[in-house]
Amino acid sequence: MTRARPVGVLLSLPAVTLVALLLVLPIAQTAYYSLTAWDGFQATWAGLGNYAQLFNNPAFGRVLENNLLLLLSVPVAVIIPFGIAAVLNEHVLGWRLFRALYFLPTAVSWVVTGMVATRFFAQDGILNGLLRGVGLGFVRTDLLAGERTALLAVGLTFVWSMVGTNTLIFSAGLATVDPSLLEAARCDGAGPVRAFFSITLPQLARFLQFAVVLTTISAFTALFSLIFVMTSGGPGDGTTTMEFYIYQRAFTQGEFGQGAMLGMVLLATVGLVTLIQVGALARVGRES
Amino acid sequence: MARRMTLFLLMALIAVVMLYPISFMVQTSLRSDEQYRTGAGYSLGSWRALFATLPVADLMLNSTLVCVSALLLILVVSVPAGFAFAKLSYPGSAVLLTAIIACAMVPVQSLVLPEFANLARIGLVNNYLGAILVYAALGTPFATFLMTVYFRALPDELLEAGVIDGLGYGQIFLRIGVPLSLPAVATVVVLQFIQIWCDLLVGLLFLQTPGLRTITTGLGVLASGRVTDVPVLMAGATLSAIPAVLAYLLLQRFLVRGLTVGVSK
Repeated sequence: MTRARPVGVLLSLPAVTLVALLLVLPIAQTAYYSLTAWDGFQATWAGLGNYAQLFNNPAFGRVLENNLLLLLSVPVAVIIPFGIAAVLNEHVLGWRLFRALYFLPTAVSWVVTGMVATRFFAQDGILNGLLRGVGLGFVRTDLLAGERTALLAVGLTFVWSMVGTNTLIFSAGLATVDPSLLEAARCDGAGPVRAFFSITLPQLARFLQFAVVLTTISAFTALFSLIFVMTSGGPGDGTTTMEFYIYQRAFTQGEFGQGAMLGMVLLATVGLVTLIQVGALARVGRES
Repeated sequence: MARRMTLFLLMALIAVVMLYPISFMVQTSLRSDEQYRTGAGYSLGSWRALFATLPVADLMLNSTLVCVSALLLILVVSVPAGFAFAKLSYPGSAVLLTAIIACAMVPVQSLVLPEFANLARIGLVNNYLGAILVYAALGTPFATFLMTVYFRALPDELLEAGVIDGLGYGQIFLRIGVPLSLPAVATVVVLQFIQIWCDLLVGLLFLQTPGLRTITTGLGVLASGRVTDVPVLMAGATLSAIPAVLAYLLLQRFLVRGLTVGVSK
């Protein structure tokens, strides 16, 4: 097998090179530039100056607050698809078609989703039309006009956008649950609720965790398009999240060093979420 | 029976919620601004206006060129790498694989600033090649991971048969590995095509010249400007959505594996 090694090196070399030059190198540079005052061309050493801004600049506080508030949408974006997948798993009439249809919006860009969502939440938009239609015309909403409500609108759109992916993950998970175990539980006198919590849920733990991590990471890193199209970060800083602030700081204000610092904070956050996932996975592995 | 009926109606209701925005998009694109406001009548005026507002043919072509090139590059590097990591491991290959997979977790925003500066320095910003390289690099970690998992599941006997037939390992990869990888290739294609076609940020930064933009970026910029009529925007949205939706419809059976490969350790 000695001849296998050089071929292995050769076959993996292009991927390793591409990743090293275009991913690893810029990550290392981000770490370095986060410690500098950098305008995209010239960088001068600034030590922890950018990081101190995290505590001194109230705008950063607002950005972090927005990110934390958006995290509240994660449980919703997981539980709803979980319920949908559970119903699909009952194999109601047309369940395959429904599953395919639910995923369809996921193939549409978040730019397009954001465009439609803007019309949905606008003052003369679809939501108010619906409210009028059910006799609630006196409740006139204009979510995108308020700082907090605009964040709510982005969060709701995010939840909608995650339904397809998470439903598919849970559908795949439910398909792996051994029906004979459920049968056995029923014979032992367990009701459907009991069977769900003691048989189905433990077997789905890995899928549940994956969906939670994917959704959490998406909430931190995938909302750029929605925010860009729906609110441009406003009103005020109402919908400016870390990932959007990085773009703004660097490309509209020329503060690349602070953008790099925020990039590190984002990386650390996502890394932490991932580690929690890995740790929990290992724990599940030990238990079973 | 009543229960199944209730569940069916519930599923149908969810289908309406999920598909309403798409039907709103298509329907609105078939109206003039006035027809949209009054909610009556249809016309193709907004589609004509779209072609006058944006160089849509160029943008669609740009998207296609960038998307297909990046996809090819992803496959050219990840299929052999996956084969190597799964079947031809060498000292250090496990560490390299772990490092590559870890890169899949890194948010774009955490590397995009130096990436932009680096590529600008060598003249690859506002150049198709720059965007292609960035998209390819971003897609490679996941594709390599998927390919490795896929090749690992293939029995070693297939390789041994090749060795007995007197093939070198390079030939074994080309004649046995590549043809067997096609289902995994389809998974990478459908996931990455949707991802790249629908991306805004990389296109926004690396292809800034309006004539070089991808359709998604061109549309995103137009929409954020808030001056274009809604029906015209929806015509653009409809056009931009077609290729990725088609890719999904054609390759949907390969998609589930891609979404759940991160689950099975």
